[in-house]
Amino acid sequence: MGKTKKEHPEKRGRKRKKDDFDENSMGLDDPVLLAVNEEEGLPSAAKKTAETTTNCVEDDFGAKDYRSQMNLKTDHASRPLWVAPDGHIFLESYSPVYRHAHDFMIAIAEPVCRPTHLHEYKLTAYSLYAAVSVGLQTNDIIEYLKRLSKTSIPDGIIEFINVCTLSYGKVKLVLKHNRYFIESQHPDMLQKLLKDPVIGSCRLKRLEDTDVLITEEKKIEMSHFPGESLKDKEDQLNDIVPKDITDLYEKIDKVEEEEEEKTQNLVSFEVQQEKIEIIQKRCIEIDTPLLVEYDFKNDKVNKDINIDLKPQATLRPYQEKSLRKMFGNSRARSGIIVLPCGAGKSLVGVTACCTVRKRALVLCNSAVSVEQWKYQFKMWSTADDSLVCRFTSDIKDKLMGCGVFITTYSMITHTQKRSWEAEQTMKWIQEQEWGIMVLDEVHTIPAKMFRRVLTLVQSHCKLGLTATLLREDDKIADLNFLIGPKLYEANWLELQQKGYIAKVQCSEVWCPMAPEFYREYLATRTCKKMLFFVMNPNKFRACQFLIRYHEQRGDKTIVFSDNVFALKEYALKLSKPYIYGPTSQAERIQILQNFKLNPKVNTIFVSKVADTSFDLPDANVLIQISSHGGSRRQEAQRLGRILRAKKTAIAEEYNAFFYTLVSQDTIEMSYSRKRQRFLIDQGYSYKVVTKLAGLEEDSELFYSSREDQGLLLSKVLAANDTDADEERMPYEGTSKSFKKMSGKMSSMSGADDAVYAEFRRNSGVKHPLFKKFRK
Amino acid sequence: MVHVSKGTLITCDQSMKQFLLQLDQTNALGKKFILQELDEEHLFVSSDVLETLEDRVDELMDQLTFTQN
Repeated sequence: MGKTKKEHPEKRGRKRKKDDFDENSMGLDDPVLLAVNEEEGLPSAAKKTAETTTNCVEDDFGAKDYRSQMNLKTDHASRPLWVAPDGHIFLESYSPVYRHAHDFMIAIAEPVCRPTHLHEYKLTAYSLYAAVSVGLQTNDIIEYLKRLSKTSIPDGIIEFINVCTLSYGKVKLVLKHNRYFIESQHPDMLQKLLKDPVIGSCRLKRLEDTDVLITEEKKIEMSHFPGESLKDKEDQLNDIVPKDITDLYEKIDKVEEEEEEKTQNLVSFEVQQEKIEIIQKRCIEIDTPLLVEYDFKNDKVNKDINIDLKPQATLRPYQEKSLRKMFGNSRARSGIIVLPCGAGKSLVGVTACCTVRKRALVLCNSAVSVEQWKYQFKMWSTADDSLVCRFTSDIKDKLMGCGVFITTYSMITHTQKRSWEAEQTMKWIQEQEWGIMVLDEVHTIPAKMFRRVLTLVQSHCKLGLTATLLREDDKIADLNFLIGPKLYEANWLELQQKGYIAKVQCSEVWCPMAPEFYREYLATRTCKKMLFFVMNPNKFRACQFLIRYHEQRGDKTIVFSDNVFALKEYALKLSKPYIYGPTSQAERIQILQNFKLNPKVNTIFVSKVADTSFDLPDANVLIQISSHGGSRRQEAQRLGRILRAKKTAIAEEYNAFFYTLVSQDTIEMSYSRKRQRFLIDQGYSYKVVTKLAGLEEDSELFYSSREDQGLLLSKVLAANDTDADEERMPYEGTSKSFKKMSGKMSSMSGADDAVYAEFRRNSGVKHPLFKKFRK
Repeated sequence: MVHVSKGTLITCDQSMKQFLLQLDQTNALGKKFILQELDEEHLFVSSDVLETLEDRVDELMDQLTFTQN
């Protein structure tokens, strides 16, 4: 098992066998299984957008004129929202009611762009689905939107909200005492479902309850997750705020939090466990997706594990808010929580596990982060070594008394043969009924792999954690239905202002191309092209200059390079330690420890293995010398490495620095622009540095003379095409069946002796022609 | 016989000079247009290709700029 960390291409036969197996152990409450066909698995309303309804005049600059469609209210100055007929909503962040409007907007719409003064949001079917699932009602949404808006709300928008929310979230699938119930506050919805032939046939009829729906009066008490500070709620509001807005805000607030204390009329019917999958699929088809909730307090079948938050673990306001969305009505909802890197995602995960207090499964994407999660559990909760159990290729803890099980995605989805020990563990995992599954860095896993995880493991609720709910392939929408709606998304700039994450100065440093390198860059047509701009001596000098500058300040610097050739070249030349794919686990930990504790090691070079989940709390400078094309996610994840709040948070204007080195006049310029979009949308701004002051005067930098640069150029020219490739990550492109080989052109054409050797062996019969030479 | 051709002095940075040299060497404009390489940052080119050159440089810059949508 130890060697098979990498993902192997699936073998046909094996997979078949696996599928058969899966059918028996098929999950309990996994909407994922249904969504195998992506198009089919989504409710039709989810594919709608509000944008189709617009027809308006656009001026030369693309500005839209909606004056004819909306009427400005007389007291518009005190209201913060512009609601455009295309579903985009603009929020003035300097408005006195900003805080209220902000919470509401986060709940009902997707943030598009959030710079300092004006935030843009977009209403989508998914965002409304999420709003409904956290307890907002259609009428409340429309009413509140009306009051916050400066203008009248366009009819199209009201209709869109109606269509998307009326049928959503009204029915819930609840697992109680190991029996499945479909539950709703709206008897008519259940009647509608029962009349559906497919669902009707799945109903489980017991003798005692003939044909009547089970009606129960339920008193639900407010759930408090541990560590929650019972804060005094309302501060004094400004008097310029119109009365109706504050009134309604209080009401909305109650809807979210206190409504739980009154009694609710619930109707429900029991369904057959083995038909759950069919029901869920059908419900999605008829536009009433089932919300999956887990009533963990009343779950007597799975025994509690003994885990609590330590008293010194205090939640920050936004962590509390996100958890409140998850445990809003004393049940656990499945969903995704989006917090910037370094804002304490792990604490949210640990707290969720401590709240549910059932067996918890934590999945992350590398062995290093497995260790970090274990550390987090020990730091924040009362869990000790016997309770927390790791399962990686190197470490397999004893399962005795295990309450929290931490492993990686690739360990769970591994398809090749496993060691006996791992086989036993897997069996055990599959037999368990997990209370909660925490999915770390949920954006990184391909949907396919994800489905496999969910077919293998049965859990009552799922919590996805990520910093960047964003993929270049736009598969993020899938996650909404695979895990659950997005429960909470934090505003990066706000956290930064409050000092929860570091204040980062982002700069893009332009390095002029050395003429010789630019000549070769222009002349080369293969992928080797990129080596010339990565190895640009001026870039190297800029990098060295920045490293030295920050070392003198006593900063800790991480240098990122996706290109392994450049990584080694830079690191060796500057004699700094480096980490990349093939670096062994022991060496990695040694380097990271040194970086943390040894004052002599202030700079490390890393490849993209360190993009996610490398916890380097002390690092505050990041230099990026080569990157993966125009990936927005990578940029954000990398920034996350230095986001953890620094001790000197208030003393200086900025306490972390993020440099991207860009070779001028090359394609890198374009990539760089593309990569920055996500962070710009979060409100960050980049400073372009065209010239580093003092760089030219510094005589100790390498590659100052033409001769040195020439030597470097010849080294780059000698590199082969495979050197120009980026490092491949084990979980990327797993389905591909080809293998990457490094070699020369001659070996392709069969000129290496390995091929000759075979020829010799095969040619038993000698051709008469050869006898001539063989005398 | 004395040939007279009209030329223009171009001042550019070092990498842009490489770009122009590249165009010259690969016959991208259909002919050689550089009359004299003066130094690192100066070139003397024939005047009739000036417009095409400008277009080419614009093209290059467009390629390097990322625009949304």
